[in-house]
Amino acid sequence: MKFKAFLTENGVNLLERRFLPAFDKMGKTCYLFLTKDHLFFLHNLLNGDGVQCIAQFRIDVLFDDYRISSQNDDRIAFSLDVSLLYRAVKSSVSICTEFSGGLASNRLQIKLVKKLPHNCTQPMPFLTFETKGYKSAVIQDVPISKPLSRSQVVELQTALDSAQDLPPTLVQVQDPNQLQNFVDRMKHVGDVLNVTISKHGDLQVQTSTTLIRLGSEFQRLSVVGEKSQAPAEDRNLSAQTRSERAIARGDAQSVQVSVKHFLKSLQCHLTKPDSAFYGIAPQGACLTVIFQFLVPGTRQTDKSITLHCRLPVLDTGSN
Amino acid sequence: MNSSPAMEPDAPDLVCQLDNVQGMVDALTCVRWKRHQDALVELSEHGIVLIVEESGCLQAKVYLQRELFTKYEYGAEGRPRFGISLGLLVDCLNTFSSPGHSNTIEIKYPGPDMELLLKSVDTLNSCIYSEIRTRIPETSEWDYNFEQAGAAPLTFTVKSAALKEAIDDLEWPGSSVQISLQKSPPCVTFRGEGHGDLQIDFMYYANTDLLLAFHCDTEVSYGYKYKFLKATTANIPGNVARENRGSKLTIGRGGMLKVQHLVSVAKALAPQVESAGYQPPSRIAYIEFFVKPEETA
Repeated sequence: MKFKAFLTENGVNLLERRFLPAFDKMGKTCYLFLTKDHLFFLHNLLNGDGVQCIAQFRIDVLFDDYRISSQNDDRIAFSLDVSLLYRAVKSSVSICTEFSGGLASNRLQIKLVKKLPHNCTQPMPFLTFETKGYKSAVIQDVPISKPLSRSQVVELQTALDSAQDLPPTLVQVQDPNQLQNFVDRMKHVGDVLNVTISKHGDLQVQTSTTLIRLGSEFQRLSVVGEKSQAPAEDRNLSAQTRSERAIARGDAQSVQVSVKHFLKSLQCHLTKPDSAFYGIAPQGACLTVIFQFLVPGTRQTDKSITLHCRLPVLDTGSN
Repeated sequence: MNSSPAMEPDAPDLVCQLDNVQGMVDALTCVRWKRHQDALVELSEHGIVLIVEESGCLQAKVYLQRELFTKYEYGAEGRPRFGISLGLLVDCLNTFSSPGHSNTIEIKYPGPDMELLLKSVDTLNSCIYSEIRTRIPETSEWDYNFEQAGAAPLTFTVKSAALKEAIDDLEWPGSSVQISLQKSPPCVTFRGEGHGDLQIDFMYYANTDLLLAFHCDTEVSYGYKYKFLKATTANIPGNVARENRGSKLTIGRGGMLKVQHLVSVAKALAPQVESAGYQPPSRIAYIEFFVKPEETA
C-alpha cells in the first residue's frame, strides 16, 4: 500500500482556507478515501447518526505527481482527526511561506508511512507532511487509523454510492447568508425545523412549539429536476396555507430535521460555495444540500469539486 | 398615521409597522434580565407599553409611542392587554433583523386565536412570519406607585455608560448598594459593602461630563439589592453609549428608585447627522425601571 503526492499551491489554498475549516466544524473525525482519480472527505457516512458530509476532489485539483497503489484496486481509506490534519496543513503553509522567499523549491509532500512512535512497540500509520526547504526539512506526522480492509472499503464505497443519489427536485438558494442568519437566530426559539420544498421553487423553514410558530419562506427559487407551476389562486395565501395545499397536490414535500444539524450543514458555507441546492430524497429519507462551485469567472459548474450534505430526518412531516 | 375608528367588528385592535426591527429588539432587551420572563403588554392609541416585574421589588416598562411606527392603525375600544413571554418575543423579533436586508415588520393583534402576529414587509420573494401565543393577564395590580419624595424631586442624570460601569464595578463587594444624595458639595454616592468596600462618587461640579444634572434639597440615602440595581443597566444596548446618552435617576417617597433610559429605535443615519448628537424625539423608546429599597433593619 503506497501513497505519495505533492500538494499544489491551489490545493493547499483550497484546503487551508476553505475546506478544512468547514470539515473541522462538521465533525471530529472523518474518512479520507483515496482512489486513482479522486480524494474524498467523508463525515458520518457509516454511523448514520449525524449530518453526512461528502466532499469529492478530482486529484489534479489538489495534487501534483500523485502516486497511489494498493491491492484493493489502488484504493486506500482511513480515518483521522480533522483538526490535526487542519493544524498540520496550516503550519506547513506558514513554514513554506517563512522559508520560501518566493522560491518554488519548497513543495509540500504528503505520504502514507508507518513509524514507530515514542511510547509504542508497534509501528503505527501516519499521514506525513514534509516540506523540504533550502536548508532544512520540516516533517509533521498526522496519526491515522489502520487503513481499511478490503471489505471495509467495499462498505464505504457502497455507502458513498448510495449517498450520491439526487433528489427529484432541488431548489437553488442564491443567498445562503440570509438563510444562515435566520436559522442562526431561530435556534433560540425552537429545536426542530420543518423544511418544505415545492416543485414551484418555494423553500420554507419553520419551527413550531406550543407557544410560537416562526418561519421563513423563499419563493420563486430556480428549480432543478421535477418542476411545476404554482396555481394562480394560491398566490395571495399565507405561506403556511400555500405549502399545505402544495403538499396535498403532491407538488411539495416536508420533513423535520434538527436545528443543530441544519446549522452544522450551514458550516459548509466556509468553503465559499457559489450557491446551495436543497432537496428532499424520495420517501422523505433525508434532506439533501448540494453546494455548487463555479469555475472562477464563469457561470459553469466546476465539476472537479463536489460537496453535499445529507441531514437525517426526525419524522416525516405531513405528506 | 391616523387611527381609524373600529368600523367593522372584525377590525384588529392594532396593525402597525416598524421600519427598524433591531431598534425594537434593543429596547425590549433592555428589560430582559432573565432568560424567561412574562411580560404584560398594553395597547392604546398612544402606543405600546410592555411591563415586566420581579418578586414585587423590581418593575420595568418599555414605552413605544405610536410615532416610532411608520404605520399605526388602532382599532380597539379601550386598552387591550395580554401576557406574552418576553424572551420569546425578543428572540423571535431578532430573527426578523437581518443585516443588509429590509427590516420592516408588521405587527398585528389579535390573531384568530388571540395570538400576536408578525410578518416581514417589503421583501422580494422571501418573507418571515410568526404567531406568538398570548395569555390573559393576571388581574392583580402591581404596587409601584411612584411619588415625589418632597417639595422638589430628588434627581440626577448621569452618563448611561458611566452608570453601567459603576454598577458593574459594584458587583464584587456584596449584595447591597447604598445610594446617597448629598447637598453640599452636590454629589451622588454609590457604596457597596461586603467582601471589601467600594465607593463611587459622582461630584456634580467636578465632572459635568459624567453627572449631567443634579437636584437635591434634602440629603437621602437608601439601600437597594444589588441584583435589582444591576438589572437596570445590564442590558443597555451599545448604541446608548455610542450616542452619549444620559440616564435619569429619581428617588421617590419611601426610597423607591426610578431609573430612566432613552434607547434609539431609528435606523443608523449618515455619520455626520449622528455625530451632531441630535435624534428626533419620536425615534426614541423610553425605558423605566422602578426599584424598591431594601427594608431598613
